[in-house]
This record gives sequence, C-alpha cells and structure tokens, in this order.
Amino acid sequence: MKLHEKLLTHYLSCTSPVDKQGYLYKKKERNATYHRRWFVLKANLLFYQERPADRHLLGVIVLEGCAVRRSESGAQFAFSLVFEGPGLKTYRFAAGDGQAQESWVKALLSASYCYLSLLVRDLGRQYEEAKQQQGSGESCHGSFIQQTTTNFFFPVQGPTAEVREGRSFSAGPSIPNRVVTKKSPKLWPRRNAHVTPLNGPAPSYGEWPLVGFDPLEDFSKLHDHYGQEVKKAREEWLRSRRAEEAHVDEDLIDLG
Amino acid sequence: MRFNEKEMVSLSRQPSEMAAELGMRGPKKGDVVKKRLVKLVVNFLFYFRTDEEEPIGALLLEQCRVEREDTQAFSIVFLDEAERKYLFECNSEEQCGEWVDSIIKASYEFMRKNLIFYRTEIHRLTGKDPLEQYGISDETRFQVNNGLQLMPRDTSSL
Repeated sequence: MKLHEKLLTHYLSCTSPVDKQGYLYKKKERNATYHRRWFVLKANLLFYQERPADRHLLGVIVLEGCAVRRSESGAQFAFSLVFEGPGLKTYRFAAGDGQAQESWVKALLSASYCYLSLLVRDLGRQYEEAKQQQGSGESCHGSFIQQTTTNFFFPVQGPTAEVREGRSFSAGPSIPNRVVTKKSPKLWPRRNAHVTPLNGPAPSYGEWPLVGFDPLEDFSKLHDHYGQEVKKAREEWLRSRRAEEAHVDEDLIDLG
Repeated sequence: MRFNEKEMVSLSRQPSEMAAELGMRGPKKGDVVKKRLVKLVVNFLFYFRTDEEEPIGALLLEQCRVEREDTQAFSIVFLDEAERKYLFECNSEEQCGEWVDSIIKASYEFMRKNLIFYRTEIHRLTGKDPLEQYGISDETRFQVNNGLQLMPRDTSSL
C-alpha cells in the first residue's frame, strides 16, 4: 500500500502546533535493543527521527486502533502501543523518567482521531445544552447547525462516519493498574475486519453490537474510568518516586 | 519512511459510511480516470481496485483543498500544488455534495478547531471548562491558542 509520504511530512512541518515531542527509546523487535529517537506527535501521527534537527524522518506510526499500555516488566518507564488484531504490531518504548512516561502516555491516550471525534460530539451536545439554558434562540432544539463551509466558528455536526469509526475500534487506552488486576474495559466489541464487507455502507444503528447504547453518555463514563486510572497511576508513581529518591539510578538499558 | 502498513490496511477495512465506487484520476500528466473504490476512514482517503482487499494507497486529508469541479465531480488539491490534484467523478450531484462535505469535515485539524470552539463557548456560557472532568485540560492539543489556557493552571493534581 502506498502511503503518500509527502503529504504527511508536509503536514508535520506546517503551521499547526505539534502536540508533543521529545526523546524516547524505541525497542527494535528483532534484537530487543532500544534506540533513542526523537519523536514528534501531531494529531494521530507519531513521527520519529534520529535527532530533532534531522530532515530525514525514519518513520511514522498512525495511531488508530491501538491501546496505550504502561508496561509492568522489562525496561524502566516503559510503555507500549498495542494494535489489536491478527498479525498486528506492538510498539515498545521507554521514557527517560517517570514524568516523561506519564506525560507521553497521557498524550498518546488522547491522540486518536476516534477519541477526538467522540469528544467533539460530547462537547457539541454540552454546548447546545448550555445555549438552551442561557435562553438563546440560536439553534433548533437538539440539533446541530449544519455547515458546508470550513468556517469553524459555527458549530458543526461531525459526519456520522466518525462515530461509526469510533465504535468499530476498541475503546482505546488500557492502563493496567499495578494493584488491581482488572483491565480497562473495551467499550465496543471489535467487529471482525474480515467479516465486515469492504465496500458496503456501515450497518444501520440498530445492528451495532450495543443496541440502545449512547456513545455520548458512555464517553463520560469512559473518561471517568480512565481519569481514575490515570489518577491512581500518578499517585503510585509519586509514591514510588519518593521511595526511590535516594536510590542511585541504574542504567536504563542493560548493554551486558 | 517506515510506517505501520499492516495496521493501516487493517484501518482501511473498518466500516465507513463514505465508501463508494468513483472515477478517480491521479495528478500526473497522462493519468486517466479509473474506477476505484474510494473510502474515507478517519482522516485518510483510501482507494482500492474494485474487489481487492488491500488498498492501492492512502491520502492524508490534512491541509488539502476540496473543490467542486462539475455537477458530479470534485477535486482534492494537496500541498497547494496543481501537480497534486486528484479528480473524483461521482454518480450523482447529491453524492458529489456528500463527498465534498465529508472530506472537508474529515480532517483532524477541522475537528480540533470545533473542539476548541466548543470548549471556549461552554466556558463562556457556564464558567466551567468542559475538559476538566476528563482530566485533559492541560493537554497541548486542546489548548485554545499558543498555550493560552482558559483556567489558571491547577498544579495540585501533578
């Protein structure tokens, strides 16, 4: 498959802001060594190169359909991007310290297009409610103003394709909690990509696995849940950090 | 440049409302219109040969310009270069309009702008930052502009 690279590199260098950048260690699957790379996260694209000033990009990871996991074993401050599906990869990384690890995990958790799409829908609904409560008569009850222009100052309903896409993926982040072994729930059971007709339209609403499910309502629940996990993870890290403060740092990479 | 090809192919197989057989003409001189299955998934436009499982290619729909060419055709120009203009022929005026609309709204940047608009407006109307409850107020990607934030930075949770 041809990925028109110039479009991605152009987007990377254009004026819209970068969402996060920094050094991370990336694990090479073949020989299990870690290489330090400069990563740049923009939208749902994670680019990497050897050094920040390099013009040559080594690669890009499109962040759709993957879960972000803090790793319990292996290198310190490790985390991974797990693409769910037969034959799909897991990318493994290690950060320089706990703060960087947490910061990257958080940034990657909110990086996917699906996530943003759901968030926009949720906020759109809140906006309509807030306007109605203010007694504003600008919008029709319960509906978004449709715009065909790209003027983003008017509220626009995202195409329903976006919500459908969100439903077909796993819910996204899955942060294992060190104390409790429960796994973060996948909100939507993954449809088998091999069964789903390639060129057919998306099934109508009622046919989706969770009938009567309100993505907007559950998005709040989803965030409550992950908010708790992130909070717990953060507290744990703070605790362990305090405990380790006097401890001499070991080599991040075992070169022996 | 390396990329996660298998994962992209898997992405291209996800159900999409905007998937149809269209006439597609590439940007190079001498390119002719060919029948392709064109499919919009997140901010990528995949195109397949009919009945093939793996897409021929994927076009990132950021920083591009979509234009109506005719009653039934539209074009996408990338990098502001006429040499990167793709033409798509639809089967009806209505279908053409739907595609133009969907592609414009498909970009991540477009969604991000909407999000920032809603965030700002909700804050203005209610005094509350709607991203607080999700713990993502400080994420760079959701900032209003140049790091200017709606609320004073709350460092107590750090």
